[in-house]
Amino acid sequence: MTDPYLPAWSEPFVGERRGDLDRSVPIAGIDREAAFGGVDGTGVTVAIVDSGVERDHPAVGGKLIRSVKVEPGEDDPVVTDDPEAIDVVGHGTACAGIIHGLAPGADIISVRVLGPDNRGKGTIFAAGLEWAITQGASVINLSLSSKSDAMFAVFHEIVDEAYFANVVLVSAANNVPGPSYPSLFASVISVAAHDIPDRWTWFYNPSPPVEFGAYGVDVDVAWKDGSRMIATGNSFAAPHVAGLAALIRAKHPNATPFEVKAILAAISNGARPGG
Amino acid sequence: MTDDRPPTLGPEAVGLLQRIALRGDVARRLEIGSARAVLRSVVEATVALFEAEAASIALYDAATDRLVFEVAAGQQGQGVIGVAIRPDQGIAGYVYTSGQALALSDVASDPRFGRTVAEKTAYVPRSIVAVPLVDDHGTIGVLEVLDKRSQAAFSLRDIELAGVFARQAAVAIRASRVERDLAGLLRSTLAELASTSAADRADPVTEAALDELVLAATDGLGRDDDSRLWTLAEQVARIRGIDPDRLELVTDLLAALARQAERDVRSRRRGRSSPDPRHDR
Repeated sequence: MTDPYLPAWSEPFVGERRGDLDRSVPIAGIDREAAFGGVDGTGVTVAIVDSGVERDHPAVGGKLIRSVKVEPGEDDPVVTDDPEAIDVVGHGTACAGIIHGLAPGADIISVRVLGPDNRGKGTIFAAGLEWAITQGASVINLSLSSKSDAMFAVFHEIVDEAYFANVVLVSAANNVPGPSYPSLFASVISVAAHDIPDRWTWFYNPSPPVEFGAYGVDVDVAWKDGSRMIATGNSFAAPHVAGLAALIRAKHPNATPFEVKAILAAISNGARPGG
Repeated sequence: MTDDRPPTLGPEAVGLLQRIALRGDVARRLEIGSARAVLRSVVEATVALFEAEAASIALYDAATDRLVFEVAAGQQGQGVIGVAIRPDQGIAGYVYTSGQALALSDVASDPRFGRTVAEKTAYVPRSIVAVPLVDDHGTIGVLEVLDKRSQAAFSLRDIELAGVFARQAAVAIRASRVERDLAGLLRSTLAELASTSAADRADPVTEAALDELVLAATDGLGRDDDSRLWTLAEQVARIRGIDPDRLELVTDLLAALARQAERDVRSRRRGRSSPDPRHDR
């Protein structure tokens, strides 16, 4: 029965409701082997817009090729290199570790967008995302979102920019009702958490706004200063899907963002090829 | 700007200033302290429901650019009250900045986790759930719950449940913030005005007189929820911070308002018996 306390966005992906996701998809002839068999993400660059990524953390496998930070400027936010490659919280390193675990060949770019607020965090986040789109990242992982209605148009434009630039955006869904950009936009791959402890298990939900459910409960993640942590949240589910998207793009470099999404849906747990 | 050169104000400017003042007036009616009481009841209910060691609420303070722990419940939670952290620092900072709810466990296995807060409170949690406090304007703070007694970690359901409490708190906080931002802005501007003109005056303005001015400036006006007030209040705050020329203009505008207020205070003293107009409300 419906549990009134189940997390709203995760609800389709946990407990009895999960059975509803068994469905036939109108795409035949593709399985996981065809989607990403034999690749490890080599040739693909994944950008992580977050709290930074710790370059030397064992979970990142030395794949961090660039690290920048975004800070408030006189007018617009300024992107500068962050040669020390630090993570001010641990969260970005957690995301990097998850992505590296699935796609160990993928290169990683860190875009650090956390900083003193000054009422500008939405614009800093937007500037970081925009920068990542122009830097050749094939997949961008966003475990952040803006709750400000004022940012609707800004993020709408950037998300379209990414789509037309052939960049896959993977965005963690939010558990709080109300505006959440860009995770609520149709062209991003939005992700909530499920509780099956397997990084290769993910679901497609045909009833948006949240279309995908991935492992995000009690995940053993990398954290600040070389440590590890047990973490729960949609923001740990998103990088699982980002890692899968990196694998698909490594195997099918010509796949567009909507084709990547369609493949992810077609080979999700619960999907049956057919009509 | 001196007393013998009264600034001239357009009716539009006067109208806008009055509406700023009016916003403060509306907020004041919500009674100072009641919002904090609601927040306290939220964290107390959170501790009871989760069977947690502690729960706390940190709010973002724009003036200091810090997240400040305002209320806490649970024996282990009290030490955190008043602690201020950077908004990019630690779990609370991350949740505030990212707007993303999180649960973490094995927290104590990393001795560096939340060291600043832990040192100040002498309490290092093993597990934590932190959810953003979100209102119509964005994320305004963070609710944290520490160490569920019955389990080693918080679940997805716990995150959602904490979110329900956070929404309750956000409503109360919004009300308290309106009051604090506007009354604070008006008061500090008047204080500035008083200090810059003190050299010209034989009788420096006292704290009590300032209180009275703020009160008088916001008294007797009706209710209005125009969101333009927020825009203007923010603009005034920004102008005060960056541009000396415009600061003088704003100071002049507020000087006119203050004079008006002083006149109102004098006429009310003559017309009323209550020594403190606040008790009239």
